[in-house]
Parts: sequence; structure tokens; C-alpha cells
Amino acid sequence: MQTPHNPWKSWARTAFTYLLTILATILTTLVLNALRQGISPTIISLLYLLPVGMAAALWGIGPAALAALLSFLELNYYFITPYYSLTVHQTQDLLGLFVFLGVSILISQLVGRVRSSLVQATAREHDAVRLYELSAHLVGLQDEQAIARAVAGQALIAFQASCVEVVIEQQPDVQSVHIRLNDETSFGELDASRVTGQPNLVPLQSGKGLLGELRVWRGDQLLSPTEERLLQIFASQTVLALERARLARAETRTRVLEESDRFKSSLLSSVSHELRTPLATIKASVTSLRSEEVPWDTEARADLLAAIEEETDHLNQLVGNLLNMARIEAGVLRPQCTPNSLAEIVSSALNRTRQQAQNHKILVDISDDLPLVPVDYVLIEQVLINLISNSVKYSPENSIVQIVARQVDNRSLRVTISNQGPPVPEEHLEHIFDKFFRITAADRVTGAGLGLSICKGIVEAHGGRIWARNMPGGFAFNFTLPLIGSDKLKNLQSGEQA
Amino acid sequence: MSTQPHILVIDDEAQILRALRTILTAKQFRVTTASRGEEGLALAAAQPPDLIVLDLSLPDIDGVEVCARLREWTQIPIIILSVRDGERDKVNALDKGADDYLTKPFGIEELLARIRVALRHSAQAQGSSKGSVINAGPLMIDLAQHTVTHSGTEIKLTATEFKLLAYLAANAGRVLTHQAILSHVWDPADAEHVEYLRVYMRQLRKKLEDDPNQPKYILNEPGIGYRFISDD
Repeated sequence: MQTPHNPWKSWARTAFTYLLTILATILTTLVLNALRQGISPTIISLLYLLPVGMAAALWGIGPAALAALLSFLELNYYFITPYYSLTVHQTQDLLGLFVFLGVSILISQLVGRVRSSLVQATAREHDAVRLYELSAHLVGLQDEQAIARAVAGQALIAFQASCVEVVIEQQPDVQSVHIRLNDETSFGELDASRVTGQPNLVPLQSGKGLLGELRVWRGDQLLSPTEERLLQIFASQTVLALERARLARAETRTRVLEESDRFKSSLLSSVSHELRTPLATIKASVTSLRSEEVPWDTEARADLLAAIEEETDHLNQLVGNLLNMARIEAGVLRPQCTPNSLAEIVSSALNRTRQQAQNHKILVDISDDLPLVPVDYVLIEQVLINLISNSVKYSPENSIVQIVARQVDNRSLRVTISNQGPPVPEEHLEHIFDKFFRITAADRVTGAGLGLSICKGIVEAHGGRIWARNMPGGFAFNFTLPLIGSDKLKNLQSGEQA
Repeated sequence: MSTQPHILVIDDEAQILRALRTILTAKQFRVTTASRGEEGLALAAAQPPDLIVLDLSLPDIDGVEVCARLREWTQIPIIILSVRDGERDKVNALDKGADDYLTKPFGIEELLARIRVALRHSAQAQGSSKGSVINAGPLMIDLAQHTVTHSGTEIKLTATEFKLLAYLAANAGRVLTHQAILSHVWDPADAEHVEYLRVYMRQLRKKLEDDPNQPKYILNEPGIGYRFISDD
């Protein structure tokens, strides 16, 4: 299939340069012949160096050598006595001729060498520019699709190809990609002529095995050895980019794993502490009650049993919080929103926290005309329970905890739970909703540091916002809940009256 | 009741079975236990109990499935006892025919109260006289006369409010799902309009309860429905 056109063409071009060389020497002879009366033979022999130098500079060593030989012969034939013969009578002339031959060969060699290194340097510069363009396009690419597209695009330009294909095989951790780009400038649609001829194939070989293949079609024109080398470099650059992308992905994954690992271990240490505390109370109370050494009076028995019941509820609440935390972490917390009365939810949250809040005075202020709010009853109840129990925990006994709900505007309502506890340092206010964040030393007050972060997760899942603020003489949690589509409920409310 | 009521407990946890057997036997019930769904179904068919306490997570078949298969042939009251506390699980089990739902961990007094309510309802359903007057503290609801009084003073209710209260009171002690209340009091087509229920419930509580924010007669079952608490 390899067509001979190309060698023929370059042969013809070479033949043409030789022809031009011959013409140049003949022209020189004609001009010098016309001027021969006024010029000394020494100058003439010097002027014969002109076509030699020109041929060397323009066409390379071969034509230069020919020019040197022809100039030598023509000089001898036309300008050295006896004229019009190749014989030489004077030794001096013979010597001059040989010096001329030597000098012209030397010049042709030197100029030719400079010229060919110039050609090489230009080719190298071209390659370097192409490689620079390629690596500039590959910088920062992290997926196979983008890398393959960039390589194909650059190869299309660099090799003036009609079509380039980049094939990346499916691997563990690597998606399979097949990109084919055509030279847009020649024809719009892909046609068979574009992919005629043998493609130049280069494997994409990495240290870990074959990743795929780079294929370049360029009609009937073969790639020169330099271009083949460039294609090899393209392939190795592609492999490097693919490896880099794979490593970057692996690194991201590792970081995520580390993060989740850290989360799990802090959760574990915090949770095991939290779970053991109530268990310790339960175990101690039960073993005391079963012990036959101490005769418990009725009141003591009742106290121990109350402690067991309280701690059991506490454990159960903790497990509920953990489950919600896990749901929030996994991103599967989906509130089942139905129109609910906030007063109802607050009242059932108060029921559940009655035991914890028995030493505090709880005031509820929820206006009667507060519209129904579309929320998940159970989740918002959990938010209220956590906020109430946090308020109770961090404020002195017999102080007041106040729950106020107000409609802010047509779009949202706000719930404020305030207590008379100590203020929280301003720099901590933003962080109290973070996981495991605690202001006081871990052992002073129980709680896994999860409660508030769960509140944040739940309120945000409802499209609301939660924040904390120091108040004169206390501290307050606030959260908002959006009120969407509550207009028709309002109408219904004023509908039927007794 | 003259004879000891017979309770079948279906639960896969040996500790729960042991505790319930001990407690219920002490409370004068006759107790049979099963640790698998199929076993429970076979026991229920062979020797129909008066009440079934059923766990949802069983090793062979799901508790909801057990519930549905029991309902194909019997109206024996079923109380679900499960660690699953998602509202959807509860509503699903109640829809499939369970009479009540209790989340583990539970207080034994609560379980006993639910058992008593369920047994009473099944006795009423079997034809024993069904009182038309229901008392709850100072409240007296006369289903036949359509009147409600609080400490002797009549409370005026709209037609819908009375229908709602009557349905809750007639099922005193049992949890009624939002959907069940809506399709009974309004229309099955309105079963999804929980907002109707919330609005009427608020009006009703304002008229009945001493403190509508701390209801004593009509209790919330978060995410599921309501339960009316009567005296007996």
C-alpha cells in the first residue's frame, strides 16, 4: 500500500536543485567570459566561489560539491592557458586550480553543515512548540475523556493529520474512552478518503501495562522519522497525564476516606463514653436492688428505679440522635413534610423532656393565629427536644426557659428558645452547631456534642436556618422554617364556626 | 373476664420473650410465644389467642406480612412492638390491620394499657353492649344524643367537629392514623389532606382541653395520628 509518490517527488526536487547548480555555474562562466578582458585570472577564480557558496547555502552539500567540480572544470577550460582545453601548462596555474578546488569543497562542506544543522534546529523548535502546546493543554486535566480530547486535538495540528483516534481501555479505576477527531478544515463529514492509508499506531504503554492506543491517519503521506519520534513523545505524554489523573483521583478518595475515618473514630470515642455513662447508672442500680445484703426501704427503691428509667430514656434518645446523625452524614435525611401545627409539636417535645426539665420553668408563647407549617413532625420534634435539653443542661436550676414562635413574614416563621444560662464566647457562637463541638470540658455535662449539629442538619433539610445569640441575661437559639403554600390553610381556618 | 385471656407473643429476641412471658403471666394472662413468623401464624391458627403482640423484624417473614396474612381470616387484635420508629413503618403496619403500635423500648404499663384497650374493643365488636356515653375526666360525650358536656356545661361543636370527636371517642385508647380519620370523618378522597385535620383538631382542642397546648384528652401520635384517652 505504501505509495511511491513521495520518494519520486523528493527525487525530482533534488534533480531540480542539481540542474539549478549547473545553470548557476554556466551563468557565472558566461558573465566572466564577457568581462574577461578587464579582470585578472586570480579574481576570476575567486568569483567562481560564488556559485559554490550559493549552492551550499541554498541546496546543501551535494549541489555544492557539484558546483565546486563544475567551477573547477570551467575555470580550467575557459580561463587557464591554454584556453579551451583541460590541459595546464604552467605549474603555477595547476597549483592555483587545486587550491581553488580545495577551498570550494571546504566552503561547500562548511556552509552545507551549517545549513543542515539549521534545518534540524528548526525541526526541533517545531517539535518543542508542539510538545509545549500539548503539555499546556494537559495541565490540570483529571478525567480520561478530557485528556483524550486534548491529545487528539493537538495531534491533529502537530501532524497535520486527517484523523486522530485516542483509545483508552477500560481498567479498574479508569473509564474506557474512544475519541476520534477529524480535520474539520478539509471536509465537514467523515468520509472514507480521510482514513485511507495505514494509520500510524502508537501504544499507550504505562509501567502497569497497556492503557490504550494513539492512531494517526494522514492520507498517503508517511511520517518522517522525526515525526515518528514526536508521535512517541505524544504517546508518553498522554500516558503521564493519564497516570497523573488516576493518582489525583486516588488521592481525593484517600482524603475522603481519612476524613470519614476521623469522623468515625471521634464519633466512636464520644459515643462509647456517652453510652457507658447511663449504662453504668443502670447496672449499678440494678445490682444494688438485686443485692440481698442491703434491705432497701421503699423510697430508696423508688429512687433507684427512677434512675434506671431515666437513664434508659436517655440511652434511647442518644440512639435516636445517632441514627439521625448517620442519616444526615449519608445525605439520606428526607423530611416527610406535612402541614403541622407548631404548638402541637412543641407540646409533644415538652412531654418528652419533662423529666430533664423538671427543675426549670418552661414558658411557651405561641400565638393562636400562627399558620400551619409544612414540616416533618418527628424531625422538628427532635430539634425542639435537643434545643430544650441543651438549654436546660447549660442554665441554672429554677431558671426560665422560654419558647417563642412568631411569623416573620408570609414566607417564614421563627422559633426562639432562650434560657438564662451564661453567655457563650462570641467566637464560639458559629461553631456550636459543628459536630462534637463542646464549650465546657467534656465531663462536666453529658451529651455527645451531636445534638446541635443534628438540629442544624434537620433545619437545613427543611430549608430553614439556625443560629445562636447571646442575649442580655441569657442565651438563645433561633431557627426559621419556610411557610410555603400556607395561604389556603388560613382560609380554611376561618371557614366553619360553631 | 372469667377465663385468663390468651396472648400470643411473636418476637425473635429471646430476652423480650422471656421478659414478656414473666410479666404477662404475673398479670394473669396465658402466654404463648413464637420466635418466627411462620411459627406464629401456625400457632395462631391452631389455637386462636385473644390478642397478638407482634414484632416487625422477624427472621423469616416481615411482621407487616404476618399482620396482613392474619387479617385474611381473623380480627384478633394485633399490637405491634418494634424498634422501627419511622412513621412510615408505623402507618404501614396500622394500614395492614394492626390495632396499635408501640416502639421499643417501651414501658410495661403502657403495653398493659394498650392490651386492655384492644381486648375491650374486640369484646365490644363481638356484640357485648357498647355504651353510647364516653367519659374522660369532666368530659361526657353522648354518641347517641350528639351532645358533649364539660362538668355539666354543654359544649357547642360544629357538625364536623362532633363527627371527629365521636370517631376518636368511639375508638378511645386506640391510635387512629391521619388517613383513617380523614377518610372516615371527611371522605376517602380527602385522605391526604392532613391540613384539614390539623385545623379542626386545633378548634376542637380549644373547646375541650383546659390547655390546648398540653392536651389531656386527644393526644398526638407524632407523624401517625391521634389517640383519645377515656376514663376506662
